Amino acid sequence: MTDQLETDLRAALRARADQVPVAAAGRLTGVDYRPRTRRLRPPVAIGALASAGAAAGALVVILSLGPEASNAFAGWTAKPTVPAPGQLAGARTSCEQSQSPIAGLPLQLSDTRGPFTFSIYADSTTSATCIKGPSFTVVSGSMSSYPVTVPAGHILMDSSHATDRAGAAYSVAEGRNGSDVTGVTLTLDDGTNVQATVGNGWFVAWWPGSQVVKSAELATTSGSTTQTFELPPAPPGAGSSGASDLGAGRGGSGARSGLSFQGSSSSR
Amino acid sequence: MNERRADFDRFVAGNTDTLLRTAYLIVGDLGEAEDLVQETLFEVARRWPRVARMERPVAYARRILVNRALSGAGRRARRRRELAVEVPPERGADTGPTYDIGGAHHELLSALVALPPRQRAVLVLRYFLDLPEAEVAAAMKCSLGTVKSTASRGLARLEQALRTSNDTRSIPT
Repeated sequence: MTDQLETDLRAALRARADQVPVAAAGRLTGVDYRPRTRRLRPPVAIGALASAGAAAGALVVILSLGPEASNAFAGWTAKPTVPAPGQLAGARTSCEQSQSPIAGLPLQLSDTRGPFTFSIYADSTTSATCIKGPSFTVVSGSMSSYPVTVPAGHILMDSSHATDRAGAAYSVAEGRNGSDVTGVTLTLDDGTNVQATVGNGWFVAWWPGSQVVKSAELATTSGSTTQTFELPPAPPGAGSSGASDLGAGRGGSGARSGLSFQGSSSSR
Repeated sequence: MNERRADFDRFVAGNTDTLLRTAYLIVGDLGEAEDLVQETLFEVARRWPRVARMERPVAYARRILVNRALSGAGRRARRRRELAVEVPPERGADTGPTYDIGGAHHELLSALVALPPRQRAVLVLRYFLDLPEAEVAAAMKCSLGTVKSTASRGLARLEQALRTSNDTRSIPT
């Protein structure tokens, strides 16, 4: 009886397992499992940076996006725009209706760039972001195991890359800022400047393409400073805890982004 | 680093389907099973440099999955996941009752559903994945003896349930 039961049980389990739709596994393989990178570096004196030829002191907005700009992101602007009537409410509806890392997290900050709304939801240990555009909604969750306190004159930045379903790359940067920071402008490695939206202790920005952040110019209540971000190579075999070094992630379609490794070490 | 990332991608591509089916058989709900697998892969990703050096990374993933399935951690930690899609996918709950126990195996599957979760998990690992008892023990984080006794009790309960069902059917009305 037991042998027959075991045979029947194997058949029953196989039959039940076959009820799992193929698309379900496809959804899971399309997920980006890479934790965010988290980097914090001491500020560099403006004078030193200026002497190296970088712009300093003023917010410089460069609209050129380079060859990676995509029609999927038409209307994007390097400087935040005033939201259109209903834009924020519409984004919130879309983001919070999608299945969700967002569930239960309070909205902290929204950034609008033309037709796009980037929102960050977070509590003291967990954050999630949502980008709502004319043709897509992207929800991303992130885990942080410790409450974050950022010293004055600094930002703590999470950055990541992804692609949309069509393979168009985009990058996001979000994080916490010191209490005296009133403005953040990111300088990407191709020289593009992207002005972040700042508020409620958070800053958020995103841009089409896979450029990485080289530095951030911080406007503070006492002046301005520049914080640089080095991209150290991940130590061989490192990563048993904390940030992973899986590199850039995949997009919604599961297509490889082809982006370069950005670095994973954390320095606080 | 790209090679390491490619290794992880291959791991995901090669194991997600089986992990999902295993989770589904244990928890009986497709949406929850997807959550469990997502949580499991997120955890594997976080520790991939170490996991990749293991002899069998999938055994590590399986252990996380089973532990979460039995502890309910997947349900509690749903929001700690990353999902990037152009259109939000349908939720598991919207796909209808996927835990269909009808058909030729109705009685056996009904009895399986009624088992305590640990017994069901052991039987799934043993008879769906065809894992040796030692690997089941590793996945369940218990002793070999516990696996044997749990499986034995589970099979006995299934057998009893089937016998009861047959007896009920044979009663003339």
